[in-house]
Amino acid sequence: MNSNLRTLRILLLMSALLLAGLATAILLRPAPSGPVQSMRLGGDFRLMSANGPVTLEELRGHPTVLYFGYASCPDVCPTSLAVMAQGFRRLSEDQQDQVRGIFISVDPQRDTPESLAAYTAFFHPRLLGLTGTAEELDQVTKRYGAYYRIMPQPDSALGYTVDHTSRLYLIDAAGQLSEVLSDAITPDELASKLKDLL
Amino acid sequence: MPNYRFFPGCLLAASLVSPAAWADVRISDAYARAVPPGQAISAAFMTLHNAADQAVKLVKAQTPSAESVELHQNSQQDGVMQMRRADRIEIPATSDYVLAPGADHLMLIGLKQPLNSGDRIELELTFSDGQQVHFELPVRSPMQAQDGPHHPDTDPAAGHHHNTDADSAAGHHHQH
Repeated sequence: MNSNLRTLRILLLMSALLLAGLATAILLRPAPSGPVQSMRLGGDFRLMSANGPVTLEELRGHPTVLYFGYASCPDVCPTSLAVMAQGFRRLSEDQQDQVRGIFISVDPQRDTPESLAAYTAFFHPRLLGLTGTAEELDQVTKRYGAYYRIMPQPDSALGYTVDHTSRLYLIDAAGQLSEVLSDAITPDELASKLKDLL
Repeated sequence: MPNYRFFPGCLLAASLVSPAAWADVRISDAYARAVPPGQAISAAFMTLHNAADQAVKLVKAQTPSAESVELHQNSQQDGVMQMRRADRIEIPATSDYVLAPGADHLMLIGLKQPLNSGDRIELELTFSDGQQVHFELPVRSPMQAQDGPHHPDTDPAAGHHHNTDADSAAGHHHQH
């Protein structure tokens, strides 16, 4: 009986020490490097539309859905923009007037601000098409945690395709990135999230 | 003097009953995607059913509505969407091969005409055994796909809205 109690006491002591060790390790862990801001996604941009430059600042007061893609993308981009457009259409007329959609083309070689205006109008009147130089696009995609890469395709009549992440970036009326959404979201779900921001 | 009158008939009959070395591919639920004006590239989707007991490869596709048609395969790597051309794709025996948004698709490159919702275009597929399937497919707006069959507000640009496009292409099967 005595030896069992002793064993138990030893085990309890060891457990206590283990927990103390873990607690110490957690408290003393190294802080993440770099300023906290660099871990936050989103932020301003200044890109070209058919009607001149557009900044995120100008969209203050308008909950915005942002998407990176390119107009020659036959599959994923039209699907995602259709989700966005139909999500907008689930809202009332007044609500649709308040929200904004932004389509940033990462393919300035093929997509001009003018051709993008025709492209986005097909989906929804509140969808605005923007593009810029490679440097500007590199900067804004990085800010939002998006990725793209021009891929030469010598065995295709396309010449090149653009590999890219496919996400809908939900920006609140204060210009803050609120949520990064999968492109598999439904129009109803998107409308619901937009209503929360209105 | 042998009677050669029946020779062409016999030859035809013989070709029809030659060993079942060709596959029999049926196309269903085919449609092409409407694109905004000025765009040169779109996609077509469908289900290909290989009814034969042997695999067959899709080796070529063409349409009068575009300069070329290529089969492209989508893949995702670390969240990045990638699209690569496939030269040919093998459809196993008695199997379906589905071309759908987000997955493999036929890319229509260098459109020669606008693709508006409600239009119809022609497509011809060639298989490894020489079989060719020629059929028509409707053009649908990508926004239509988001709304299901009975939703009230679908693509306002569509005009007449046909919700029940269950096109099944028997097509013309040309055996060579």
